[in-house]
Amino acid sequence: MGADGDSSGVDGGCSVTVHIRCSNGSKFSLQTPLDVTIGAFKVVVAGNCDVPAEQQRLIYKGRVLKDEQTLQSYGVESDHTIHLVRGAPASSAPSNTPAANLGASRTPNVGVGSNEGVGYGGAGSGGAQFPGLGLNGLFGSGGGSSPFGTGFPDFSQVQQQLTQNPNLMREMMNMPAIQNLMNNPDLMRNLIMSNPQMRDVIDRNPELGHVLNDPSILRQTLEAARNPELMREMMRNTDRAMSNIEATPEGFNMLRRMYENVQEPFLNATTMAGETGNDAGSNPFAALLGNQGSAQSRDGSTNLSNTNLEQTGASPAPNANPLPNPWSNATGAASAANTRATSGDTRSPGIAGLGGFNNVQDMDRMLGGLPDPSSLNQILQNPAMMQWMQSLMSNPQFMNQMLGPQMGGLLEANPQLREMLQNPEFLRQLSSPETMQQLLSFQRLFSSQFGRQQPNQQQNQGGDGTGAPNNMGLDLLVNLFGGLGAGGLGMPNPSNVPPEELYATQLSQLQEMGFFDTQENIRALSATAGNVHAAVERLLGNPGH
Amino acid sequence: MTLGGSGGSSVVVPRNFRLLEELERGEKGIGDGTVSYGMDDGDDIYMRSWTGTIIGPHNTVHEGRIYQLKLFCDKDYPEKPPSVRFHSRINITCVNHETGMVEPKKFGLLANWQREYTMEDILTQLKKEMAAPHNRKLVQPPEGTFF
Repeated sequence: MGADGDSSGVDGGCSVTVHIRCSNGSKFSLQTPLDVTIGAFKVVVAGNCDVPAEQQRLIYKGRVLKDEQTLQSYGVESDHTIHLVRGAPASSAPSNTPAANLGASRTPNVGVGSNEGVGYGGAGSGGAQFPGLGLNGLFGSGGGSSPFGTGFPDFSQVQQQLTQNPNLMREMMNMPAIQNLMNNPDLMRNLIMSNPQMRDVIDRNPELGHVLNDPSILRQTLEAARNPELMREMMRNTDRAMSNIEATPEGFNMLRRMYENVQEPFLNATTMAGETGNDAGSNPFAALLGNQGSAQSRDGSTNLSNTNLEQTGASPAPNANPLPNPWSNATGAASAANTRATSGDTRSPGIAGLGGFNNVQDMDRMLGGLPDPSSLNQILQNPAMMQWMQSLMSNPQFMNQMLGPQMGGLLEANPQLREMLQNPEFLRQLSSPETMQQLLSFQRLFSSQFGRQQPNQQQNQGGDGTGAPNNMGLDLLVNLFGGLGAGGLGMPNPSNVPPEELYATQLSQLQEMGFFDTQENIRALSATAGNVHAAVERLLGNPGH
Repeated sequence: MTLGGSGGSSVVVPRNFRLLEELERGEKGIGDGTVSYGMDDGDDIYMRSWTGTIIGPHNTVHEGRIYQLKLFCDKDYPEKPPSVRFHSRINITCVNHETGMVEPKKFGLLANWQREYTMEDILTQLKKEMAAPHNRKLVQPPEGTFF
């Protein structure tokens, strides 16, 4: 489009217009001669989008283009379209070794820096810095499978010491080496991605990938870890909030969802890591969980035993089933996982918050799951939380990223909404306590309406002996609340407009996808506040499952 | 699914025209743009062998992956469905774990094939299948391995 004009002078001879289509739906055109290599072409493309050349993967006519070939050799002609996908940086396999080396080379640094007499604590402490990020698995498995593993007698001890000694933690966090490490997102990403187990977890939970790709989140998590007061405050608050949530029927389901989506895969991955190390005792993550459970939980003993139960349950067959369901055994396991979810979140305040809020749907879910507004109030009025929200909101880039995949459909259909969300001023307003309060009263209104649906759902769940989560009802509820959240914020008074008009674009989108029943489409769209993605899921879920 | 089908139902488009049309759509990236496909061998006058790619849908285990498929349109093509085989390894219910073949019995579009359906429809439907609740979280074989 715009490129046509300015690049006409580049090469008069055989340059043609080629369209690039990104996986997120955006599109642009550029002029290029056809005899350039794909490698050189990628550099040109990189100038027009935010994907660096080495991460680009170009697809044309169903084939992935190789760097050394030319556009011509693939038969690209004028006006043809090439698809662009952001891939993992090349050579993920070889990076395994450097990562391990890196971890090892940092070890002496840390040991020397912290003069608390834990010279052997490098790897272990490295893990403990990122309790929520699951990096324990990374560092731990590195230690477990490498020769260093045998050198460190007891990871759990180190970690326990660290978690109980915030000063030590702070000292460590303030060390330039660690700060450097943190400020280098690429390095972090490499470290994480080079661990197959972690990769697997991230593959399975794309939301987490986004977290890890955002350096500011990593930094924030560490910031929290560095400041013991903040951390304790957050822990205490999360803990209290969790127990409040837990006490309500819908909240329980919500916790279950959080658990299934985030906590469990992490656990699985790290248990696997322990297995490869051939020594369950050297699995620092498991040990960490156990320690933390007994160290800080309200209900130490049961928590610990539950933890063990969970571990033994998960370790024999971590791979056969991606999400072994702990809910199958209704009463016993339910409480286990419940406390587990709680302990998991208290243990990892940074990421728990991030995990929850990274995902807008989760946020809505969280809001929706709180028929008792006081607990939400509690969360919102907690200064640490507010601070965190503020810093989150003031980073429009992150907001975009977070909104991108979740609300893509909604935003595409409502360009104004996107604009609004890109306006930092608006975001600040949004994060102001008043707005939150308003939103809250919305929620309260709705929750009273849905009050009668909940017992119903509880029943279903009770009868669902196989443990296949009765997600349909929950989804519905969630979507409704999700819709409310989005609708309440984005479109101040949607009620006056008939749904056909309101969701015209979404309707045609659904039509294109092959959903022809307009009435059904409208119903799905109004239930999901115009989120096409959610509507499709609803439509697909309705008949079969 | 039946895009343009209303016009085509009265006039039967011959195989070659139909495939040429699909070839052009593939080259120009017409359609929803999340799948890509083209002919393997430009010299094959029967236009039988095709390659397609599906970009893994968002918020699934498949996100960011590129799946390559082989489609073979025999001479009875628009009347009968093409045979569809995953080249990249994938674990979803409608794909044979040994061969990578998409099994028509488990994949409605092939089982209830109509001549208006295109290869693009197959690819987009497969992509939807990846995002289906029973497939989106399955453990996947490592990226870059092939059947």
